[in-house]
Amino acid sequence: MNPVGRRRPDWWRRVALIVAALALAFVVLAPLTSIDAAQQAGLPLLTDKLWFRIATTVAMFVALASGWNIIGGLTGYASFGNVAFFGLGAYTVGVLVTNRGWPFALALLVAPVIAALFALIIGLPLLRLRGHYFAVATLGVGVAVGEVVNNTSQLGASTGLFLPIVRSDLAFFYLMLGAAVVAVLTTWLILRTRFGYGLLAIRENEEAAAVIGVNTTFYKVAAFCIAAALTGLAGGIFAQWSSFINQENVFAISDNVQMILMAVVGGAGTVFGPVAGAIALELIIQTLAGGGSGAVYSQIGLGVLLAACVIFIPRGVIDFFGGRSRLSWRYLRQTLRETSA
Amino acid sequence: MSQFTQQVVLGLLLGGVYVAVALGFSLVWGILNIVNLAHGALVIVGAYITWDLFTRVHVDPFLSLPVDALALFVIGYALQRGVINRVIRAPLLFTFLLTFGINLVIVSLLLLIFTGDFRSVTPAYSGSGLHLGSVIIPYIRLGGLAVALVLAGVLWAILNRTRTGAAILAVGADRDAAQLVGVDLRHIYALTFAIGAAFAGVAGGIISTFQSIAPTAGDPYTLQAFAVVILGGLGRVSATIAGGLAFGLIEVLGQSAPWLGSGYANAIAFVVLVIVLVVRPRGLLGRLA
Amino acid sequence: MEIFTADPPRDERVSLLAVRDLSKRFGGVSALAGVTFAVDEGDVLGIIGPNGAGKTTLLNCISGLYRPDAGDIRWEAASISGMAPYRIARLGIGRTFQIVRPFPSMTVRENTAMGALFGQPDRRLQPGVALHEADDVLELVGLGEKRHYPVLRLTVPDRKRLEVARALAMRPRLLLLDEVMAGLNGVEVEQALQMVRQVRERGITIVLIEHVMKVIVGICNRALVLNFGRTLVEGPPADVLKDRRVIEAYLGQRYARDHG
Repeated sequence: MNPVGRRRPDWWRRVALIVAALALAFVVLAPLTSIDAAQQAGLPLLTDKLWFRIATTVAMFVALASGWNIIGGLTGYASFGNVAFFGLGAYTVGVLVTNRGWPFALALLVAPVIAALFALIIGLPLLRLRGHYFAVATLGVGVAVGEVVNNTSQLGASTGLFLPIVRSDLAFFYLMLGAAVVAVLTTWLILRTRFGYGLLAIRENEEAAAVIGVNTTFYKVAAFCIAAALTGLAGGIFAQWSSFINQENVFAISDNVQMILMAVVGGAGTVFGPVAGAIALELIIQTLAGGGSGAVYSQIGLGVLLAACVIFIPRGVIDFFGGRSRLSWRYLRQTLRETSA
Repeated sequence: MSQFTQQVVLGLLLGGVYVAVALGFSLVWGILNIVNLAHGALVIVGAYITWDLFTRVHVDPFLSLPVDALALFVIGYALQRGVINRVIRAPLLFTFLLTFGINLVIVSLLLLIFTGDFRSVTPAYSGSGLHLGSVIIPYIRLGGLAVALVLAGVLWAILNRTRTGAAILAVGADRDAAQLVGVDLRHIYALTFAIGAAFAGVAGGIISTFQSIAPTAGDPYTLQAFAVVILGGLGRVSATIAGGLAFGLIEVLGQSAPWLGSGYANAIAFVVLVIVLVVRPRGLLGRLA
Repeated sequence: MEIFTADPPRDERVSLLAVRDLSKRFGGVSALAGVTFAVDEGDVLGIIGPNGAGKTTLLNCISGLYRPDAGDIRWEAASISGMAPYRIARLGIGRTFQIVRPFPSMTVRENTAMGALFGQPDRRLQPGVALHEADDVLELVGLGEKRHYPVLRLTVPDRKRLEVARALAMRPRLLLLDEVMAGLNGVEVEQALQMVRQVRERGITIVLIEHVMKVIVGICNRALVLNFGRTLVEGPPADVLKDRRVIEAYLGQRYARDHG
């Protein structure tokens, strides 16, 4: 379902769409040049290790932001603990592969299931909360689960888990890309169905949704579980890709904020908003991080960017592509006025 | 038995710290409906100021508390008036994200200025304490509890005995009605946040005396402040006192339980949080609705 | 085998909605303290009473947003007390809110379609079909031309119409209207009355909470007066409005004494 407004297909929007399509084609096909067969046939090598690392990370965040979008953007329940599902997915794969000797493919199928089950268990009590309470309760989940894992020796405690190293930039990129595609496709499908309308109704006015016949509890929990499964899948892939997981890299609250930021900056509640947000933001972050004194400055930059986006473009960047608004001083002043004291 | 008494005493003393930390947080939440994710960062800024004064100019930490209060008051006022006021009528998610962004910036700036090394403030009387029978009450902790209670008293007095306090309460009760009777909304918002920040700064000063501080040391305090407010209830100073003391007790007694340890501080906070929210949402002393 | 075609006598017929001894407390305040009444199919029951009498609380209990502390609510003899709101909605009970609650990001048409999409128990519609049904309902309430408007562009009377449209799209058997006339001027009240008449003509049983007496007299066949959470009087509107106890409740004992 599209937001209401007149569609104004300016020429530059068409250009942007074409550019995006070309870029997407490049991203999907270019990695194939790194296959031996392609190399022997004389094709130029279009991708290198760095390219794969960044591209895979971007794909991962597209999946994470889209997953968050389902519970946060569509349903209106802003979860600050989705990273717990990421971590659970990662540790599911980690434990099954390392401690139990399972093949990665099989473990990867289990990861989203475990994440979804956890979402079901904590979703039932937590989704009865609203607004601030839900946000901080889920924040607590993210922190608490990470802490428990960090203290459990069977899970590697603070040392973490090491998985057998599998070297294949290409495979992991396509795998992560697949997860991203599944996430975006799921969102698109949801918005075309009755289920999607129900989620939007819950977001807009939960009491009204209930009295017209929406089973709000079931819908909310379902959305939460779907988001968890998508997030857990990405986590599972990450575990094998990175070959090392611990509390710090799979239960990081800053990752959770990043997914929210990406979804919001891109456009929460839309299909492609999180995609745009994830791509844009992750590229910015990677650029800032590579700049030397690195991490700290990128954190400051992220913080300022977050503040600016929240203040000036709360509906997200995608607002400009739907034909509804134009990025101008007037737009910025207007959003400012709408939400200022 | 005396072991248990010692734990209870320590729990109450720790609770005092939590009261100090949570007072400002509760004020900002209750009046402005802002859950300030940067609260912990403001606390740590206060801690650093105290540390700086102690290390460079040898000022006793408890004497530097007014400086903490003043500095954080100014910072808080500027933050609210300049930045947070811009999203105050937006959906809650945005103030959340904004305060998180502010948290990121503050913590990063602290990292740049003070580096990630752990700092501590150790005045001469650090190790000593009051001996009551077999129970030891460290002076530092006792001072912390005393300051917390003073802060609570000050807050109560401000809110209930001054015109400004009346304006703040009015804004918290009904923003539009307050405007209609002539309250300067932007100023009161900024003032409220500034007071909350000042209290956070003082709490930070206290914390620096018994805990080593690093830029990221503030984050756990935000979650714990939230748990304290939920536990005690929103809307009254006495509720925050009850919540803080109770939370301190829970943490100390919980950590001495055989199957838990000090690594579970956050997990304990969270579990308390969820139990209260599900069983008795208004907390121990909170008002209904 | 013979099939009875005559209606059974009134007292043997099962009421559509029966409320018995309903009580609801909030902290120390008794919002409802033993309310009892019944609504038969085809009735238009008006509920009146001073502010704070418990009228909206009553509606909230019936529609499932509140769980009653005591008493029973029966829909065709089956208890629905404390049932989840969505299940009550699916049984065929629709309601509006006193302060309207539209879905802001959807158009008028989409808002209405939501009722059709979720509120019809036997038919699980697809979004496309629901939108078509919405068009019919919008014609009935007079919002046909504005169906592509965003909600925020509507005036207050139109938003109230939308609220009713959304409930009607559920094809309810019982419609609960909470102060639909509030804030409307004389002309708008007439139009709203006309709309309510048309709803009744569709065979929908109506319970409406109102302060505008013209409406009660104009369209209700029965009236119920609540005061302090209790039923004060029940009966035909004209009689109820002349009842001394009712006048006392609204205007005070002295007025009733002086004008009685």
